[in-house]
Amino acid sequence: MTASSASSPMSTTGGSEPLATLDAGSRAHLAAIAGRLIPEAHGMPSAAEVLTDDRVRFVLQARPDLVEPLRGALRVELGDDVQARLDALGRGDPAILGALHLVIVAGYYTDRRVRELIGYPGQLAIEVKSGAPSYLDEGLIDAVLARGPVWRDPVTGRRAEVAGAPRTYKERVWSTTAGSTQGGNDGGDST
Amino acid sequence: MASEPADVLIVGAGASGAVVALRLAEAGFRVVCLEQGDWHDLADYPGVRLDWELQQRKTWATSPNIRQLPEDYPIVEDSPVSPLMFNGVGGSTLIFAGAWPRALPSDFRVRSLDGVADDWPIDYFELLPYFYRTDRAFGVSALPGDPAYPPDTDEAPMPPLPIGSAGLKIARAHTRLGWHWWPEFNAINSTPYDGRRPCVQRSTCQSGCNEGAKASTDLTHWPKAIAKGARLITGARVRRIETNDAGLATGATWIDREGAERFEPASVVVLAANAIGTPRLLLLSASGRYPDGLANSSGLVGRRLMMHPFANVAGLFEEPLMSWQGQFGDLIESLEFYETDEKRGFVRGARWGLAPTGGPINTALPSRAGEQVWGPDHHLHVRTHLGHGANWGIFAEDLPDETNRVTLSTTVTDSSGIPAPEVHYSMAENARRMLDFHIERATESMLEAGAFKVEVDRLMRYSGWHLLGTARMGDDPETSVLDPWNRTHDVPNLYIVDGSCFVTSSGVNPTSTIAAIALRAADHIVESRFNQQVPA
Repeated sequence: MTASSASSPMSTTGGSEPLATLDAGSRAHLAAIAGRLIPEAHGMPSAAEVLTDDRVRFVLQARPDLVEPLRGALRVELGDDVQARLDALGRGDPAILGALHLVIVAGYYTDRRVRELIGYPGQLAIEVKSGAPSYLDEGLIDAVLARGPVWRDPVTGRRAEVAGAPRTYKERVWSTTAGSTQGGNDGGDST
Repeated sequence: MASEPADVLIVGAGASGAVVALRLAEAGFRVVCLEQGDWHDLADYPGVRLDWELQQRKTWATSPNIRQLPEDYPIVEDSPVSPLMFNGVGGSTLIFAGAWPRALPSDFRVRSLDGVADDWPIDYFELLPYFYRTDRAFGVSALPGDPAYPPDTDEAPMPPLPIGSAGLKIARAHTRLGWHWWPEFNAINSTPYDGRRPCVQRSTCQSGCNEGAKASTDLTHWPKAIAKGARLITGARVRRIETNDAGLATGATWIDREGAERFEPASVVVLAANAIGTPRLLLLSASGRYPDGLANSSGLVGRRLMMHPFANVAGLFEEPLMSWQGQFGDLIESLEFYETDEKRGFVRGARWGLAPTGGPINTALPSRAGEQVWGPDHHLHVRTHLGHGANWGIFAEDLPDETNRVTLSTTVTDSSGIPAPEVHYSMAENARRMLDFHIERATESMLEAGAFKVEVDRLMRYSGWHLLGTARMGDDPETSVLDPWNRTHDVPNLYIVDGSCFVTSSGVNPTSTIAAIALRAADHIVESRFNQQVPA
């Protein structure tokens, strides 16, 4: 039941060698800009060092739509002065500047060493533990219940008064099984 | 094509369309659904891959104007808020966060209680049995007993998901402040449920759940509906709803992937294409009999669009919270300031939902933190933000305004040549005051919890997740498009079951309420089938 294929827009593979679209001059501009935006400091490497061909290739293969705006950001007419180039893009073409930022940041923060240095292991799969949550034992739910109903009674227009409303969680039945593990149907239709 | 016309033709395979399809298929109806998108496999979703944050900004972006996939249609935006949606089997449930709060009792009585907007023709308590049924069908993890709602008689299908270090920190702060908080109701499995795996806290819910733990209707409803005989046609872009001389809907003309025009006949038509797609289709279906668009004798089709103006209040904490993890559907919520207090200078209120904060690419790029994130201090910026944040998302109730509307573009079309929708929307002064008040209170919440800095996005552009109100229900055909059972006043065999039907927006994520209303409408279709007018 999947629509994906190698040529699908959902594919993460772009052109076979996106770096071929960047000449040496463009690569030099990219390195200079990367080093300016994310320099070596505070124990972290510069993006100029991190953005190897492998990293740039990874980004552009994942996002082939970034190739053209990147080429636009690195075009020779914008000169050799990094800050002047960034200022010109910010004034005249913020979308292209945004694409340039994204290529540099994505290349940098998908690098294994950088991720280790910032203590980011990636989005982990963490098992949800069963059992009563600690905030119940800590009394945090009881504190909410002790203040009584919060909802506004649509008949009176005032904060609701509910006779016998539980003021602690122990007054409720805590069910760890919490009903069936089957979603069942939507109806209960008897016809 | 089917050998026999469908009893019911549904347009759109998202939350509401799936609910209706399953209910009717179980009741023995011949159901056909036309969906312009396609199926997606769990392996399609980028959350498990290194390029996750890159894909979330393009192929899996929530805005169709950014994604620009073949199945998307462009939206012309005259609005500070971009409408968000997904076109595929499961619709926007594929990319929604999974938060599952219900509208509150006062939400259905806004005119009576606060003298603004309109009352609904139905109320919370009438919907309650449907909430219970949809909670089970979608699979909801929750701690029962939230005193922000009337007492429940049903327990939640699953125990609550963890609230995380950030949630615990804020919960303690609200205990000190004497403010409401509660673990969020999420349509995300905390345990194995209905053949689906539990959540693994990866936090990539908004680009599809690789575990199948989040309740998207391609998993929760469509396989069951198809097993009961429903026929789901993908790659089917509906151009118009056709009507006969008697004014009854006869089916839909649609365009297939090869560009060929087809017709699907049906006895009853149900629109479930969201509050932009549905009015677009009604306006596209104008005819000699219905010159202003189908079901539009009130002139309200497309009007009263509501999208919940959204602010984000982020607290930064010294200690690591690992806040890139956790269900994105929200860790906890607060409804402390949900109800009207006129001393605040506005009516109605907002819900707060505490969410994870994203990965390093999102953290490193310019954002509400400002544009100056570059240079040597870039590294300090990332260190202080990544995994150290807690975000209150604030959903402000959006009151209906007829000038906030969906129209048809005269210049922009989709890839099939069908006019694109134009969205004209501005935020009302009441909502601006509401957001300002809530931002101040949410800032207090963060500071009480120990945040050393609070950063605010006062109106987030890409936040139009909740599309509501463009074909409101009501008792009077002159002031509403739908009757209280979601049937159009003008066309007795045409139903609208998506968020278009909302009379007011509430201040909560609407999918739970949309699903409950859709199920109620489906029950009505079943119960009234022997009295239903159908084309000859």
